[in-house]
Amino acid sequence: MTFNPLEHRGIPLDRQLRNWRELDVEPIDPDHADPYTRCRIIAMNGIEVEAILFSHQFARNCPSMDVKRQLAEVRYMEQQQQRAVNWLLPGVSSALENTIAYEQVAVDLTAWVARMEPDPYLKQAYEFGVLEDFDHLYRYANLYEMVQHRKAEKIVDGLTEVIPGRPTRYHHRHPHDNVREPYDRNAAAPISKLHALTIMAAEQQTMNYYMNVGPEYMEPIARQLYQEIGLVEEEHVTHYESLVDPGETWWERLVNHEYNECYLYHSFMETESDPRIKAIWELHLDMELEHLRLACDLMREHDGREPEQVLAPELPPPVTFEPNKAYLRELLDTQMDLTTLGAGYVWEAHERFERMQEGIHGGEAPPSDRVVDAHRERFGSDYRLSTEGEHPDPRLREQPSQER
Amino acid sequence: MSVEDRPEHAEDVIELLVGQHMLIRDLFAEVQTATGEHRAEAFARLVHLLAVHETAEEEVVHPLARRGIDGGEQVVEDRLHEEREAKEALVRLEGMDLGSEEFDAALALLRDSVLQHAHYEEAYEFRHLRGRYDQDRLETLAAQVRMAEKAAPTHPHPGNETAVKNLTVGPVLAVFDRVRDAMRGGGSQGG
Ligand SMILES: [Fe+2]
Ligand SMILES: [Fe+2]
Ligand SMILES: [Fe+2]
Ligand SMILES: [Fe+2]
Ligand SMILES: [Fe+2]
Ligand SMILES: [Fe+2]
Repeated sequence: MTFNPLEHRGIPLDRQLRNWRELDVEPIDPDHADPYTRCRIIAMNGIEVEAILFSHQFARNCPSMDVKRQLAEVRYMEQQQQRAVNWLLPGVSSALENTIAYEQVAVDLTAWVARMEPDPYLKQAYEFGVLEDFDHLYRYANLYEMVQHRKAEKIVDGLTEVIPGRPTRYHHRHPHDNVREPYDRNAAAPISKLHALTIMAAEQQTMNYYMNVGPEYMEPIARQLYQEIGLVEEEHVTHYESLVDPGETWWERLVNHEYNECYLYHSFMETESDPRIKAIWELHLDMELEHLRLACDLMREHDGREPEQVLAPELPPPVTFEPNKAYLRELLDTQMDLTTLGAGYVWEAHERFERMQEGIHGGEAPPSDRVVDAHRERFGSDYRLSTEGEHPDPRLREQPSQER
Repeated sequence: MSVEDRPEHAEDVIELLVGQHMLIRDLFAEVQTATGEHRAEAFARLVHLLAVHETAEEEVVHPLARRGIDGGEQVVEDRLHEEREAKEALVRLEGMDLGSEEFDAALALLRDSVLQHAHYEEAYEFRHLRGRYDQDRLETLAAQVRMAEKAAPTHPHPGNETAVKNLTVGPVLAVFDRVRDAMRGGGSQGG
């Protein structure tokens, strides 16, 4: 069925305010919920956080008092939406457990987007990035068993494999090599713009999460691992945000943001397995339809353009959380040794990359290596959840323990 | 490797207890999804694990926290209060039919409060202990807890399958008492 958000009426803005009782949502069950329900919550939280931060930036660049006031009013509702969504996460889950779920989101959302992306240059950007978050999942899973004495398979539930990706040690590139070429706003397919916005928002939330929860840990290896992977997430935000055409006007960007919120709430409403959570996606979709209408009016007034010129005539197929095991294994087989040079990709470690590597590692093993070494020392092997056979890359197959 | 083996890797008493918190959490989830005999058996394991775990905390860890951390008296009082409530809830559960909605509801409540209790222990108690006591001490205590765990009868007596059906490692309070005796005995033998 097709859905054009421009043709639907939402909840009027002056009826969107929720009271404390309405905001006090019941969290999902930490041990019985669908892992992909948790993934949708985490992804949607990232989208709402981006809506809020974007609106603040817009307000700071906006001379019109009327527009500022309207932005403030819509933004307050975005804030309430963020509370209602993120507060669905249960307090029983530790920050590290949420972290593993964040990386599961990064893996299965980015893989899905890569599979659906029509533009080959953009597709390459997603395929490149996903192998790194895939490796983060493996590193954090090793940490999880060490500090919390529980296995990551309890969290990912066999939907996502936990095996080495492109080793995190090699993610530390010179910042110049993280800047990609943007798509062309006049030529790009609408779906490409939505993809870029979605992954950028997810990575931004991941970066913010790691930079804030890292110091809550007491274990030195945990504190260090959050520093390291948090810095890689900075690279990912740089990588994905540079895909977005900076020539888009503020009005156009606002419309794209609201349209993307409609797209994702609609997607999650269509694919949600938990009826209670589905009702929240539906409610929020009805709110976003109104945000979108208001943004479209601003664009017509201030940009002198019809939003239909930049938007898709109907929503693309729903963003779906589903296993991507075969796809990821193919990437592991073919793109493991890739790095970036300028706005492109190369197979060889170049001079600027080597210099960055020397500088950041200082001649020592990084936390991402040490966490796996420590796990091996303690449990005899690293932690993996491998459901589809041996690792595609022979160098990353399980090494038998040295002592035995 | 079964999940039950995992705390064996633990090095000190805090890691051991944190590992048990995870086992308790997973066991609650298991009881909730299990039915019939399997549910009775999983519930019996849960009762035993809670007895071992809470007793170890009462005998070994709370006294350290009481003396060793700022505001330790009050923090430990709060934890003991929660532990007493959990024990009472367990006693009520053992009087219920395992297949009943009443049991489901009471189990869900107990699970929430036990998991919250575990979180408080980790946040307000355990994380301060490592700074206060040296590693050797914490490791010795772990060994004591493990010994007591072994000394306390783990499973229903072999051949007592009907008893399993009636949920039994014995009445809940008796299990707690037995573990406590074993722990006190084990502690003095060890030291
Ligand atoms: Fe929103
Ligand atoms: Fe990541
Ligand atoms: Fe990332
Ligand atoms: Fe919105
Ligand atoms: Fe306790
Ligand atoms: Fe405890």
